[in-house]
Amino acid sequence: MLLQLNNIFKWVQQGGQRVFLLKDINLEVEEGEFISVMGPSGSGKSTLLNVIGMLDTFDEGTYNFLDESAHTLKEKQRSNLYKQYIGFVFQAYHLIDELTVYENLEMPLLYKKLPSSERKAMVADMLDRFNIVGKKDLFPTQLSGGQQQLVGVARALIGKPKLLLADEPTGNLNSKQGEEIMELFKQLNDEGVTIVQVTHSEKNAQYGKRIVHLLDGRKISD
Amino acid sequence: MFKNNLKIAWRSLKKQPFFTFLNTFGLAIGMAGGLLISLYIYDELSFDKMFADADRIYRIDTDIKFGGNEMKSSESAAPMAETMKRDFPQIATTVRFRDRGSMLLRKTGAEANTKEPQATFADSTFFEFFGIKLLVGDPKTALTKPNTLVLTKTAAEKHFGIKNALGQSLLLNNTDTYTVTGVIDDLPKNSLLRDHSVFMAMAGYANSRENDWGSNNYYSFIKLIPNSKIEALQEPLQGMLEKYMLPWAQKYFPGITKESFEASGNYLRYHTMPLTDIHLYSIKDSELSANSSIQNVYILSFIGLFLIVLASVNFMNLSTAQSLKRAKEVGVRKTLGSNKTDLIRQFLTESGLISFISLMVAIVLAIVLLPYFNNLSGKNLSIPYANPIFWLILFSATIILGLFSGSYPAFFMSRFMPVTVLKGGGQSKVGGGNIRNSLVVFQFAISVFLIISTLVVFQQLKYIQGKDLGFTKDQVVLIEDTYAAGSQVQAFKEEVGRLGQVKGATLSSFLPTPSSRSNSSFFKEGFKDQENAIQMQTWDVDNDYLSTLDMKLVAGRNFDTQFVSDSAAVIINEATLKVLGVGPQEALGLRLSQDIELEQPQFYTVIGVVKNFHYESLRENIAALGLFLRNSTGLMAVKLKAGDFSNTIASIEGIWNKMAPGQPFSYRFMDESFNTTYEAEQRLGKIFVVFTVLSILIACLGLFGLATFNAQKRTKEIGIRKVLGASVGQISYQLTTDFLKMVGIAILISLPIGWFVMNKWLEDFSYRIEISWWVLAIAALLAVGIAILTVSYQSIKAAIMNPVKSLRTE
Repeated sequence: MLLQLNNIFKWVQQGGQRVFLLKDINLEVEEGEFISVMGPSGSGKSTLLNVIGMLDTFDEGTYNFLDESAHTLKEKQRSNLYKQYIGFVFQAYHLIDELTVYENLEMPLLYKKLPSSERKAMVADMLDRFNIVGKKDLFPTQLSGGQQQLVGVARALIGKPKLLLADEPTGNLNSKQGEEIMELFKQLNDEGVTIVQVTHSEKNAQYGKRIVHLLDGRKISD
Repeated sequence: MFKNNLKIAWRSLKKQPFFTFLNTFGLAIGMAGGLLISLYIYDELSFDKMFADADRIYRIDTDIKFGGNEMKSSESAAPMAETMKRDFPQIATTVRFRDRGSMLLRKTGAEANTKEPQATFADSTFFEFFGIKLLVGDPKTALTKPNTLVLTKTAAEKHFGIKNALGQSLLLNNTDTYTVTGVIDDLPKNSLLRDHSVFMAMAGYANSRENDWGSNNYYSFIKLIPNSKIEALQEPLQGMLEKYMLPWAQKYFPGITKESFEASGNYLRYHTMPLTDIHLYSIKDSELSANSSIQNVYILSFIGLFLIVLASVNFMNLSTAQSLKRAKEVGVRKTLGSNKTDLIRQFLTESGLISFISLMVAIVLAIVLLPYFNNLSGKNLSIPYANPIFWLILFSATIILGLFSGSYPAFFMSRFMPVTVLKGGGQSKVGGGNIRNSLVVFQFAISVFLIISTLVVFQQLKYIQGKDLGFTKDQVVLIEDTYAAGSQVQAFKEEVGRLGQVKGATLSSFLPTPSSRSNSSFFKEGFKDQENAIQMQTWDVDNDYLSTLDMKLVAGRNFDTQFVSDSAAVIINEATLKVLGVGPQEALGLRLSQDIELEQPQFYTVIGVVKNFHYESLRENIAALGLFLRNSTGLMAVKLKAGDFSNTIASIEGIWNKMAPGQPFSYRFMDESFNTTYEAEQRLGKIFVVFTVLSILIACLGLFGLATFNAQKRTKEIGIRKVLGASVGQISYQLTTDFLKMVGIAILISLPIGWFVMNKWLEDFSYRIEISWWVLAIAALLAVGIAILTVSYQSIKAAIMNPVKSLRTE
C-alpha cells in the first residue's frame, strides 16, 4: 500500500458555521495505480490532491504514507518526502521563468544534493526521453503551453518519484496537446509510476484505471 | 548551489529592470552619502594624531575672569612652560609658540615680497617635541640662535631651492633680517599647525624670557614622561596662581591675596587640553588654527546613518512589495523539495548581489561627487585607493548592509505556503503590509525632520545676514597689510580717497570682521581697585572710521584732527556704558586710564558714545569697546560708490604699486569677510540641503515602488470598481489618499521632534529667530506635495487601465 486516507475531514469557519471542504474521505492507493479524481467546481478535488501531496493540512482523520503517519511530519521531513517520493504537475505548469529548461529540470536534483556529473546524466536522460534536447537552453516563456507542460512533467519525474500528482495537467492546453500529455501519463503508468490526477474532462479521466467522483467534499463513487 | 543561486539572482534582477533600478539607485545614493560622510568623519577624528607621542601631549589653557570680563584662552603666560617643567618631574619636555600672524618675506636683495599666512616664534625644542624631521638643517641647533628661522618646503621653494636653503638670509616685514637654518616638510592638513609655514627662533623674542604672569600670549605644550598620569598634575597646576601669578601681581595691586582676588569674583584657572582633543573639543579664544566641533561630527554621523538606514529600509520595502511576483517561485521550489534555509540563502544572495552592484555605483558616485563635497565641507578629502583596510571595511560594510537589508524580505518570503501561492492566478494575499507602511512612515518622518532643520538653519542665517549690525558692510573693500607701504601709508590713503569712485577710506587696527582682538583693563578716574576694572577692547582708528563704516554716534562727537587733545580721547560703545553704569550724556567727559599704578597715568577722555555694533558673531553678546585715535597702519577700509568695483580696485592697486613697489596687494570685500564668521553655519546649512534632498529622493523611490506594487495588487479590485461605474478620478483619489495617511502620520511624529531639536540648536545664538508655525506648515505641505507627485503617476496609470485586461481569468 502506497498511501491510505482514513476519515479525512477538512473545514473552514465561515460566519460561525463550518463549511466542509472534505467530508469523511477514505481512500487507499496501491502502487502502480492510475486514479482520476472527478467532480464539479468546488467539489474538493484540488483540496484532496493537496492533502495527498502534503501541501495542505486537514482537521480530522489520519493519513499514512508508506505506513508512516504523514500528518505529524515536520516541514523538514515533509520536504524530504517530496524529494524522494512525490512529483507535482500543475495546471499552470509553474516552471521557474528565470531558469532555462535545463536548469528547471536540474533544480530538484540540486535540492537532493546530487553531484554535478550525476545531475548532468539524469537531465540529459530526461531531455532525451521527452524529445526536448533542442529546447534545453530556452526559457519557459519561449515555449508553447504543451511544451511547457512537457517540461513540467519531466521535472516532476526526474527525481524518480513513486507518486505523480497532477492537478488539471491539461487544463491550459488545447485538445491535441492534452492528448499527448495523457498518452505520456499512460505510458508512465505502464512503467510503474503511480498517478493521481484531477480532471474535469470525462475523456481524460478514462485514461485512469480507477475513477473517484467527489461532490461537495464527499466521495460519491469509486 | 551558490553558483545556481547567483545565477537565478542575476536573472531575476535582470527581469525586473525597474525595481532593480529603484533598489540599486536608492542603495547607491545611501552608500555614496555614507561613504563621503565616513571619509569626512575619519579625517576629523585623525587630527594631530600623527605627531610623536601625541597621546602624551597637552596644551595649557587659561580661564580668567577679571574686571568684569571673562576669557577662555588657549594660551598661557610666557614663563608657564618653563616653570612647569622645573616644578613637575612628570613633564618630559615643553614647547611654546608665540603667533605673529601673517608675515611678508623676501630674500635679501630681492624686490618682491611673498606673504605667508601664519608665522610664529617657536622654542628650539619644537622638532623633537612633535617628532618633525628636517629636510635640511640640524634639529638640535636650528632654532637656538636669535634671528634664525625654519621654513616649510612650500614657503622655502618660493625663494630658493631646498638644497641651498641653509644660510640664506630673508627680510621679514621689510624690517628684520633672518637666516634660514632649516626646512621641514609641509605640515599635515589635519594638524593644528597646518597653516603655519614660518618658525622663528624664540631666542630672538625678548618678551618670551620675561617673568610676566599677567599676559597670556603663549601657546604652551607639555609632554609627559611615559606612563605618568595627567590627573596628578591638576591640583598642583592650580597652585601656580598663588605660587607665581599673585606674587607677580603685587607690583600692580599691592597686597593682593588669593582671598581678595577671589572675593572680587575673579578667578584664574589652568586647564590641560589633550593635543588630540583640540580639534573637536576646544572652544577657546584665539586658537592656533580654526577648530571644528564634535557636535558637527555627531550631526554628520546621524545624517550618514539616516541615509544608509533609509536606503536599507527602501530595499526591504521594495523587495517585499515584489514578493507577489516571487511567491509562485517560492511555492514551486518548496514542492520540489526546497526548505526554508535554502530559500533564505537564495534571497540573501540576491540582496547581496544588489548591494555589490550598488557599491560599484556608489563608488563611482562618490568619485564624481567628491570635489563638490570637498567644496561643501571645506576639506581636501580623497578616496584612499591604496589602503587595503579601507576596501576591507567597505566590503564588509556592504556585506553586512546586504544581509541586513535582505534579512526581512528573505524571512518574509520564505514563509509563503505553496498551497496558497500556487492556487489560482497568483492574486493571493501577501502580508507584511503593516510593516511596509510603518517603514514608509519612518522614511517620511526623517525627511520631514530634515526639511524642518534645513528651513530653520537657513532662516537663522538670513536673519543674521539681514540684522542691523550697527555698521554697513556693503561696498567696503578691505586692503590688508597696508603697513608694508611704510611712511607712504597716509599718502596712500589720501590718494585713494581722492578717487572719484571712493566715498571714504580709513586706516585702523581692527574692523568688525573675524580677527584676533586686543583686550585691556581700564579704570575710571578715582578708582584703583580691581573690582572696578573694565575689560575693554582697544581699537586704534582714525577720524574717518565712523563715517566710512556708517557707525552712528548716540552722544558726543567724532574724533577731529583739529583738536590736538583728541589723541587722549576715547569713543566708547553702549556696552561700555553699562559697565560704567552711566547714561550716554553722563559718560561724556569721564576719564579712563589703563596704567593706574603709575604716578601720572595717561587718561583718556570720553568724547563720544557709538551705537553698539556687532564685531563678533551673533552667537556672542556685544562687550565693552573703546576707539582710540592713533596712527595705525594695519588695515585700510575703503567705502566705494555703487558701480564697477573691479575698475576702482584696479585704480587702487595702481596707486599701491606706485607707492609701495614690490609689496603684495591683497584685498577682500568686507561682506564676504563677514560671512566667514558664519562659515560653520553656512556649511551646516548646505550640508543639510544636500542630504535632505537625498533623503527625500530615497524616500520617494521607496514610495514610488510601493505605489507601483499597490496598484498591481489591486488591479482586480480596480477593474471591478470600474465595471461598477467608478470614474478614473475617484479611483486615483482613493489610491493616493491611502498613502497620504502614512505621510500624515509621519508629519505628526516629526513636527514636534524637529521643533524641539532645532530650538536646542538655536540656543547657541545670542540673537536668534523664533521657529514660526509656518516653517512647520511648509515642511508638512512639502512632504505631502512630494508624496502626491510620487504616487499619483502610478495611481492614475492603474485607474485608466482597461478593466477587461485585469478581470480576465487565466
